[in-house]
Amino acid sequence: MSGDIELVGVFATDDQCAHAVEKLHHAPIRGFHTFSPFPSEKIAEAVDEVREWGRSPVRKFVLCGGITGAISGLVLTVGTSWEWNLNTGGRPIASIAPYIVIIFEMMILFGVLGAVSSFFFKSGLPSFEPSSGYRTRFGADRFGLVVRVADGDVAKIETLMREAGAEEVVREAA
Amino acid sequence: MRPIREPVQLNWGRLTTIATVLVAVGVAGTGVGLAGGQPQRVWLTWLVDLLFFMGIAQAGVACSAAFYLTQARWAGSVHYRLAESFWRFLPLSLVLFFGVYVGRDYIFPWITHPVANKVKAQWLNAPFLFTRDFLALAFMTLLSWRFVGISRTEEAVIWHHQPDTIEMPPKPIRRLAPVVAISYCIVYTLFAYDLISSLSPQWHSTLFGWWYFATVFWSCVCAMSFTAVRMRAALPVVNMFSRGQVLHDLGKMIFAFSVFWMYLTFAQYIVIWYGDIPTETFFLVGRCWHHPWMLLTWMAPVLIWVTPFSVLMGVKPKKTPKILGTVALLGMIGVWDLNYVLIVPSLSPDKLPLGWIELSITAGFLGAFLFCAVPGLKQLAAVAVSDVDGDE
Repeated sequence: MSGDIELVGVFATDDQCAHAVEKLHHAPIRGFHTFSPFPSEKIAEAVDEVREWGRSPVRKFVLCGGITGAISGLVLTVGTSWEWNLNTGGRPIASIAPYIVIIFEMMILFGVLGAVSSFFFKSGLPSFEPSSGYRTRFGADRFGLVVRVADGDVAKIETLMREAGAEEVVREAA
Repeated sequence: MRPIREPVQLNWGRLTTIATVLVAVGVAGTGVGLAGGQPQRVWLTWLVDLLFFMGIAQAGVACSAAFYLTQARWAGSVHYRLAESFWRFLPLSLVLFFGVYVGRDYIFPWITHPVANKVKAQWLNAPFLFTRDFLALAFMTLLSWRFVGISRTEEAVIWHHQPDTIEMPPKPIRRLAPVVAISYCIVYTLFAYDLISSLSPQWHSTLFGWWYFATVFWSCVCAMSFTAVRMRAALPVVNMFSRGQVLHDLGKMIFAFSVFWMYLTFAQYIVIWYGDIPTETFFLVGRCWHHPWMLLTWMAPVLIWVTPFSVLMGVKPKKTPKILGTVALLGMIGVWDLNYVLIVPSLSPDKLPLGWIELSITAGFLGAFLFCAVPGLKQLAAVAVSDVDGDE
């Protein structure tokens, strides 16, 4: 959006940052991102509430991975047994009981791979450039809230962030 | 300070009457069964029921100990009182254990046909077996009595209601809870070998004892969940069990320990399958693949694992009282069925003796169990109402 401005709010505590996020929710403003020197539950909950993300999409990838893994495990065990046709102790060539272990492990493996890869994919990782508005102190002792707003709303949002406890609010061109 | 606990006015008289009638049915069934020349059916069922109901009562105390060991304070005092509400059946089970002694010739095949293996024969002789098992049972009863007493002290109750602190439980509990948990595992392993596995003295499985006490523990979790659901309906609208979170937690316990049970079951099965040694496989083959036991045998994993796993996977079913209660009830039926299938085919491989004798004796044990549980349930009802008052 041309003419937009980014406001970077700096907060001393995660409580204040989460409070500012809630205020944005009521504004209502959705286009923002936060920085935190540690994983803060308070900020995560506030952001989750505002964005109404609900359930993570990662679960669908885990399910697909698990099903794929189980089928792969079954095909691998039964297929190789039939291919080599080895008779072990007079048991059936394709004996399901011991294959359950391999099928189960393959299901877990593919499920985990699905979870990890979808997590990176959905999070947009890896990201080699810092996000706009980033300050090194957001990785040390301060919390950041970056909001992209139209020219007309700048004063309103700046006041809102200061009311929530921002130590400083910096304007940057978006 | 917690509010003073007033007894909750429920229709306890009705429950006591039902329990009394069930006991009468059980006494009549036992008497008629013995008089009618069916002593083996009577005493085998007696053993099945004793192990089932005694197991729930004892595992409840072990579950309370586990709560203390994990510092579980997710429902105030309620989950402690819930787990401990059945313990009064333990002193009665000491008395009922004499029934196993009376019927020993019909239960233990090695009494009339001693085993050839000399080492095994030293372990499997009636005086030694009954002495050690009775002493173990008496020890567990005294330990449970002491533990439940300490768990109800004011100091313990105050600790229950401080979930935000990192305080450890009171010192007497810290000392006794590990003893209860470890003793439970040892004694129920002993019972598994002495009172179940020894009925097929040629058979052995090193995992059987562990597997059995895990099964018993799960049956207690089901009994707790079923009781919670019934209490929720019977108590005033606002009580601890009307909170979805409490039912959710109980549902998670059913789900988790059901998966653990299946894990142990499969671990035991796969070793026997791989070894393919006749002295190990005969125990499973007769039960899993031969008529008339096949259906009852496969019913057990369906009720203990398939049903809870498939039904309770989501959050909503765990929080829905009717669903949780039904799964818990089916789970208890599954464990009773499992006990029956473990014990009876060892002496009756070709016949399925399941009729009015078995049902009436089971009804009698159920009545005695309910009778013993009433005082504990009264306390539970009071706590379930007063704790929720204290929280608001």
